[in-house]
Amino acid sequence: MIITRDLTKKYGDFTALNKLNLKVNEGEIFCLLGANGAGKSTTINLLLNFIAPSSGKAFINGLNVTDNARETKAFLTYIPENLMLYPTLTAIENLDYFLGIGGKNFSKKELEFFLHEAGLQQEAFHKRVQFFSKGMRQKVGIALAIAKDANVLLLDEPTSGLDPKSSNEFGELLLKMKKNGVAILMATHDIFRAKEIGTHIGIMKQGQLKYNFSCNDKSLQEIENLYLETMSLKDNLL
Amino acid sequence: MIFHVVKKELQETLRDGRFKISAAIVFVLLVVSLILTFNQYQYNNAQYIEAQKNERSLWEEQGEKNPHSAAHYGSYVFKPKSPLSLIDQGVEKYTGISIFLEAHNRNEAQFSNASDQTALSRFGELTPSFILLYILPLILILIGYDAYTKELEKGTFAILKSQGISNTKLLFGKWLSVLIPIVTITTLLFLFGGLILSNTSDIGVFNWEALGVLYIVYLIYYLILTNIVLFISLVTKKSGVALVSSLVFWVLACFITPKIASNIADSKYPYPTNQEFSKRVAEDRKKGLDGHNPWSEEAKKLEEEVLRKYNVDSVHKLPFNYSAYRMQKGEEYQAKVYAKHYSWLDEQAQKQENVYKSTSMISPFLPTRFLSMVISRTDYQSHRDFSEKAETYRVKTQEFLNGLTEKNSRYGERYVASANAWKKLPKFEYTPPPFSQILNSNTPMMLILIVWFAVTGAVLFFINKNH
Repeated sequence: MIITRDLTKKYGDFTALNKLNLKVNEGEIFCLLGANGAGKSTTINLLLNFIAPSSGKAFINGLNVTDNARETKAFLTYIPENLMLYPTLTAIENLDYFLGIGGKNFSKKELEFFLHEAGLQQEAFHKRVQFFSKGMRQKVGIALAIAKDANVLLLDEPTSGLDPKSSNEFGELLLKMKKNGVAILMATHDIFRAKEIGTHIGIMKQGQLKYNFSCNDKSLQEIENLYLETMSLKDNLL
Repeated sequence: MIFHVVKKELQETLRDGRFKISAAIVFVLLVVSLILTFNQYQYNNAQYIEAQKNERSLWEEQGEKNPHSAAHYGSYVFKPKSPLSLIDQGVEKYTGISIFLEAHNRNEAQFSNASDQTALSRFGELTPSFILLYILPLILILIGYDAYTKELEKGTFAILKSQGISNTKLLFGKWLSVLIPIVTITTLLFLFGGLILSNTSDIGVFNWEALGVLYIVYLIYYLILTNIVLFISLVTKKSGVALVSSLVFWVLACFITPKIASNIADSKYPYPTNQEFSKRVAEDRKKGLDGHNPWSEEAKKLEEEVLRKYNVDSVHKLPFNYSAYRMQKGEEYQAKVYAKHYSWLDEQAQKQENVYKSTSMISPFLPTRFLSMVISRTDYQSHRDFSEKAETYRVKTQEFLNGLTEKNSRYGERYVASANAWKKLPKFEYTPPPFSQILNSNTPMMLILIVWFAVTGAVLFFINKNH
């Protein structure tokens, strides 16, 4: 479960995130929409404790991320916009490394199983990832989440740049994880994918969560209108 | 966690073509340098043993002769090669390997290897110490310069940090993975060198303890360099900048600082030229007794003193050969003059060394270079120790030879010693100072090296903690 309470991040006079209150339960996919600079990535970075909040609190599975930086990371997996792996290592070796430094050790068979579950083709398991497409690398990230048995998944624009087939496959993987009770927070620009797989949508503007609603409550058109409204030039200049 | 970091870093390093090629080249160079140095060592050692034997038989087989003629005939003593010169040849190539011992004069060591070689030898030689001091640090830089910057450049840092690994564990893993290849190469070299030395006869006083301490000195050197290279990688954002910065440090530490140190030492405490030194010695010699000149003021004074002491009115009535007695007194005076001037030279050398040692605080290369030569017994002090012991032997030889004439003849007689007399002179046996003494007198250098490690380690740890 992900919870933020009045989570705020300021850089001098600039407020990157302003009193964000958010809750993502197990088995929910919360899609954060918003223009660039709206505060989506800042939210994820705060949840990862990569940056310290100016005020407010963030919790992962009930643990304050600032006070329990290392413990909370055991529950979560983070997949950035462009998941980069070590190019000279194979998919298995990359997975083994990231799990290992998190204190989890698995056999080669188990690692292969996780990659298989994440949808990576078998012939790619033992290939160096330097020639992997973005979609294939994202699957290694999902395999990491499966292996860690993560109950929180933080995704920062994971489908941007993916071809429709890969994007679709990735969406299906997220739905599978949702079914398994994972709380997913996904920052994205992809309204269509958000409506399709999300349980909740939040639209951010200038560091504030302007709208927060259930996906079932609004049509795709309504979501698009709200999104475009937050992106209006006039408002953004203010 | 640390194991996984080390494993992954080593996998990356070993799969890096640049590392494979450079490590292979360095390994081949090390083996070649060891073989070349060993061959040279064996050749020199064989020459040393043969020359020593020949020289002694030439001395013993002089036949019947006046002892003072034998004193002028002279003999050579040869500096034995230190076993650890297999690793570090230090200044041996330039200091000379033999000293000609004769009456009245203290000669400097001569016949250095360098003087027999072409100008090409001035470009330096491929020796294990050259590779250990200059080339392995380059490989270390090649392995470690992008330890952190590559994570930023490849974008892996975020996912890495999201796994919850602590900065300290990540640093320790990277630190070990930079060190392991270097330590492996160094360990193999020392083991190989030790096995060669311990299984070769006529190798002098080889002990594993000295080799072990030398190994530790180089290990500390690499630990310091690892700290510095990782520090640079940590504070820079780009691999190119990290590489250039590390190389600049390498050039400054290994080439520029030693030059600056020796220039400062030289200008602050200059060494006299050979001519200048000989002139000073000659001036002082003139002021005292010359055994060959019975008409000088000093000789007259000595004669009066001796006649008074023995209560006789002529040197003919003395119970010994006065000429030999005077010769010995002249020798003693000249030995004192030489001792005075050489001790001044030693003081200068000591002052230069102190300047050199004080600059050790600005480059870890300097204490390592210094300790490497000291432990290998190829430093200037080891040479001076040999030179001093040769001089002591020369003085005793003159005492022995003058004593032969003095005791066995009277003033005015020409004494000819029997052919067997020369064998009675003890052989020159050079025993270098014990290793513990060398180690004790160089404890400050060792401490400087340890301080380098502690300070660079503390800075790295602090910067990493706040990274």
